[in-house]
Amino acid sequence: MQASRARLFKEYKEVQREKTADPDIQLVCDDSNIFKWTALIKGPSETPYDGGVFQLAFSVPEQYPLQPPQVRFLTKIFHPNVHFKTGEICLDILKNAWSPAWTLQSVCRAIIALMAHPEPDSPLNCDSGNLLRSGDIRGFQSMARMYTRLAAMPKKG
Amino acid sequence: MAEDGRNAAEQRASDPNPCPICLAPVCEESYLDQCFHKFCYSCILRWIKVVTSKHSSAPASVKCPLCKTENFSIIRSYSGGFFQQHHDNENLDNSAFFTKSHKYRLQCYYTDEGGLLNKFNVPRYWKLHKYVQSNPRLISWVRREIQALTQEEDVDIIVHHILGVIESFRRNEQKQIKVTPQAKQEEFKIIVSEAARPFLTGRTDRFVNELELFLVSSLTIDAFDRVYIQHLGWKMPELVGEVGEPVEHAPLVPHLYFFDEDCDGNE
Repeated sequence: MQASRARLFKEYKEVQREKTADPDIQLVCDDSNIFKWTALIKGPSETPYDGGVFQLAFSVPEQYPLQPPQVRFLTKIFHPNVHFKTGEICLDILKNAWSPAWTLQSVCRAIIALMAHPEPDSPLNCDSGNLLRSGDIRGFQSMARMYTRLAAMPKKG
Repeated sequence: MAEDGRNAAEQRASDPNPCPICLAPVCEESYLDQCFHKFCYSCILRWIKVVTSKHSSAPASVKCPLCKTENFSIIRSYSGGFFQQHHDNENLDNSAFFTKSHKYRLQCYYTDEGGLLNKFNVPRYWKLHKYVQSNPRLISWVRREIQALTQEEDVDIIVHHILGVIESFRRNEQKQIKVTPQAKQEEFKIIVSEAARPFLTGRTDRFVNELELFLVSSLTIDAFDRVYIQHLGWKMPELVGEVGEPVEHAPLVPHLYFFDEDCDGNE
C-alpha cells in the first residue's frame, strides 16, 4: 500500500514536470484519491480515430506496480479490442505481459498504439473484429469514424 | 518557463537512474545475472515473488521487467570486482545438479580471496614436489567447480581438458626437476589458466587459485568445504553439519538469490 502510494506520487510528479512532453496524452489524478486517474488521449492520425479525444479511466490496485492498473475507455469507441459497452480493453500488457517497469503514461502510449494497430484475432468487439477479419477495411473504418464523430469530438454548433 | 526547465534538469541529474519498479533511487543495488539491469533488492524480489506465485512450480528463470531477458539469479552485494557474462542459455529447470554446495562454491567467488592462504603452506607444497602425486579427489572437485561457475550440468569435456593438462604437467615434471619451485608454480598456473580461460573467462584466475588451494590442502572435498566455510564464517548448517562453531561476528555472505529456491528472502 505504502509502496504503491509512493510510486504513484513519483509518477504524479513526473507527469507534472513533463506536461508538454507528450501532447497526445493528458493524465490527471483524482483530487482526493491517488489510486484513481483519468487520461485524455488523442486518436492517432491516419486512423479513423484521428481528431477524436478519448477518455480513459484508471483504477490502480494497492499492489501496483506489481499488479497492472485496470483501464477502460469512458468514451465510446468502435475497436476490435475494446468492449463496446463497458470500454474494457484487451491488451496483453494489462494482463499477462504486465511488467512493473510500465507506468500509467506508458500504458497510455500502448493504448494509442493499440488504436492504430488493432488485433482482430482476439476481439472484444466481435462486429468490429469480423469486419476487419473479412477484409472489409472500408466498412470498419466508416463505423469507427462514425463513432469517433459521435462520441469523441466536440459537438459542432 | 526557463527556470522550470532547469529545475527539471537538476532534479533528473540528481537521480539519473532510478529503480524502474519503485522509481526511487536504487537501494541495495541488485542486478539480474544475464542482462545486468539494476533494481532495488526488495523491489526485484517482490516482483519475482509475484511472478513465481503464478506458476504451480517455481520457474527457473524470470524475465527482466525492462528487457524481458530470461535471468536465473539476482546478484547482490556486488563489491566492484567484475561480472562474468554466462554464455549458456540452458534452462536451469531440469537441473537438479545445481546443489547447495554448488551455490556455496559460486558464492565463494564473490568473496575476497587470499585469506585461506595462511592456513595451508603453499610454498612447501611446491618445494617438496607434492604436485607429483596425483589427487584422485581432484576430478570431483573440478567438476563441481566448473558446474558451479558455468551453471551447466554437462561439463565433462572441460573437466577432462583441465585434468589432462594437469596430468601432462605432472608427467613432464618427472623429466626435468631442476626448475625452482616458484617457476614450477608459475608454469602450473599458466597452463591451467590457458586450459580453463575459454570456458571461465573472467573467473579463470580465481579458479586457478582455488584449484591450487584445494591441491595444497590435500583435504577431502568435505573437509575442504568445512575449512573454507569456517574461515569465511558463514552459517551454512546444511553444508557444515555440526562442525561449524557459533560465529560471533556476522560476515556478509554474498547473496545470490536463485529463483527456484523456496527462500523467504527476508533476512
